[in-house]
Order: sequence, then C-alpha cells, then structure tokens
Amino acid sequence: MATDGNDPDEALLAGVGRGEASAVRTLLDRRLPRILALSRRLLNDPGEAEDVAQETFLRAWKQARAWKPGAARFDTWLHRVALNLCYDRLRRRRETPTDQPPEQVDPGPAPDAGLLASDLSQRVEAALAALPDRQREAIVLCHHQGLGNIEAAAVMAISVEALEGLLGRGRRALKASLADLRGED
Amino acid sequence: MMTFERFEDLAAAYGGEIARWPEGEREAARALLAAEPARLSPVLTEAAGLDRLLDLAPAQRPDAALLGRLIAAAPQPANTARRWIAGLGAALGLSAAAFAGVSVGVMVGGQAQPAPAAVAQAETVTAVDFTADLQDALEEPAAL
Repeated sequence: MATDGNDPDEALLAGVGRGEASAVRTLLDRRLPRILALSRRLLNDPGEAEDVAQETFLRAWKQARAWKPGAARFDTWLHRVALNLCYDRLRRRRETPTDQPPEQVDPGPAPDAGLLASDLSQRVEAALAALPDRQREAIVLCHHQGLGNIEAAAVMAISVEALEGLLGRGRRALKASLADLRGED
Repeated sequence: MMTFERFEDLAAAYGGEIARWPEGEREAARALLAAEPARLSPVLTEAAGLDRLLDLAPAQRPDAALLGRLIAAAPQPANTARRWIAGLGAALGLSAAAFAGVSVGVMVGGQAQPAPAAVAQAETVTAVDFTADLQDALEEPAAL
C-alpha cells in the first residue's frame, strides 16, 4: 500500500538508518507499545508477545538503511511483520501436542454479580482469546490498533469485504459471550 | 447511498463511533443519522457498549530490559562503527603480538609447553570470531 508521502515515521526511520540514538528512542516510544499490545492480544502470552515485538524491531533495524520511502507505511509494515510472527507461533502451538492446555480464563459469567475492574478486563480478554484467530486479528487491528479498514485488510492480506465479515462475526460472538456484562459497563 | 441496513452493518463491524467507520461512508452515515436519530441512535449506543468493554482488555507496557536490548541492537552511526573496528583492530594486534611472543618463548626454552600457546591461540581465535560477529552486527544489527 503506497503512502502518498504521508508516512509519519519516514523521517525517523531515516534517522534510525543513520544511527541516531534519538530517532531510535522516539520510534520505539511511538511504535513498540502498539506492536507489543498487538502480539499480546493475539498470543495471549506476555513472554511470547515480548519475543515477537523484539524480533519485529530487529527486522526493522535491518531494514532501516534500505527503506524505500513511498512503498508502504512503516507502521503497516511493522504490523504485517508482527502478525506473521504471531501466525508462526499460533501455528506451532496447534501443531505441538501438549498435555497441558494453555491457561485460559473461563469466558463465562463469574458466580458473583459484582465484578472488579480487573475481573472485567480478564473476562473481556478471555472472550477475545476464545474467538477464532482471524476474527480476533480483525478486531485487534481495527479496534485496538486503530488501523483503517483498507490498512487492516492489507495487513491481513484479505479484501475489505472479508475484513468486514470477520469484524461483524467476531463482534457478534463477543456480544453473546459478554452479554451479562453489558449492563455494568 | 447509505441505507439503514448498511448503517447497521457498519456499526456491527466497526463499532459505535462513526469516526472509525470507512472514510468514504462517514458523511452519508452522519446524514442518515441526522435524518433518523430515533431509529439509528440506539444502533450506535448498542455498538458503543461493546466498544467500551473491548477497551477494558489491558495492553502491556514494554519493560526496560526489552527497550535496552532493542536500543543496543539499533544501527550505530558510521563513525562510531569505524572507531569500534579501529579499537578492536588495535586490540587484536596486541593479541597477535602476545601470541607470537609466547610461541617464541616456548621455542627458545626448548621445552614442550603446549598449554600456554594453546590457550593464547584459543583466545586469539575467540577474539577474531567476536570481531567478525561484531562487524556483521554493525552492518546488520539483527545479527546480534
């Protein structure tokens, strides 16, 4: 996806390529939390999310000197790399039989009606984790990462219509699994 | 042309904030909402309820160790890289001289003392490997 010369990270990336410490710090301040949040929500494992974020930025450092302005937004490229690294890990999880299933919070309602904020966020996180991977990716990219529909579809390598379908199905499933919380928000 | 059905589909997919809907459809959606608020406001309210719940799912802040690793692995200015390589070159020169000195000393002494020479050589080899890695890393930081 072309940037039309409007990539807010382009100048910073050039600074990273020249080895400017301030550009490295600013780019990390701006983009690392987003990539970490994306990986965290897709993998539901803080350690693996950190590994993915680290690998994503190591690849970015490698690209910095050779980056071609105008070809793609750097943020979109970062999301694409991180998403692919998450896919690899999710695929490995599915292929590796394990005696111990990953720890997951029951997405169903808690026995007591009055939930603390941390309980609420755990419930939401668990409901998100219980979605099919592609639905979760679509919701995380559009809602949490704030990507536009065209950008999110490009990152996921699908059409905008397919993205909308995933978003609609994912949000309907979330609404159903979190129905008991709707009165408390 | 924005229809009620399309408005509902957009809310179901993108949530209760029209500002987050596809750019090309926002204006028509706002116009339809202004024309039919009683019918369409509840659609947005319903979608916004799920948006608020989604915002509760916590993000993770990067910790200092991760930041430190990434900063250390970032590209270095070219002149710093040259200084590093020059400094290591000098250190390697000293190592090579020390190795030669130890070897000569062993030969002059006429005694079979392989251990110090072997150790010095092993250290030199390690230093050369490290330099090669460092040069790779300076060219391609991900190699670190």
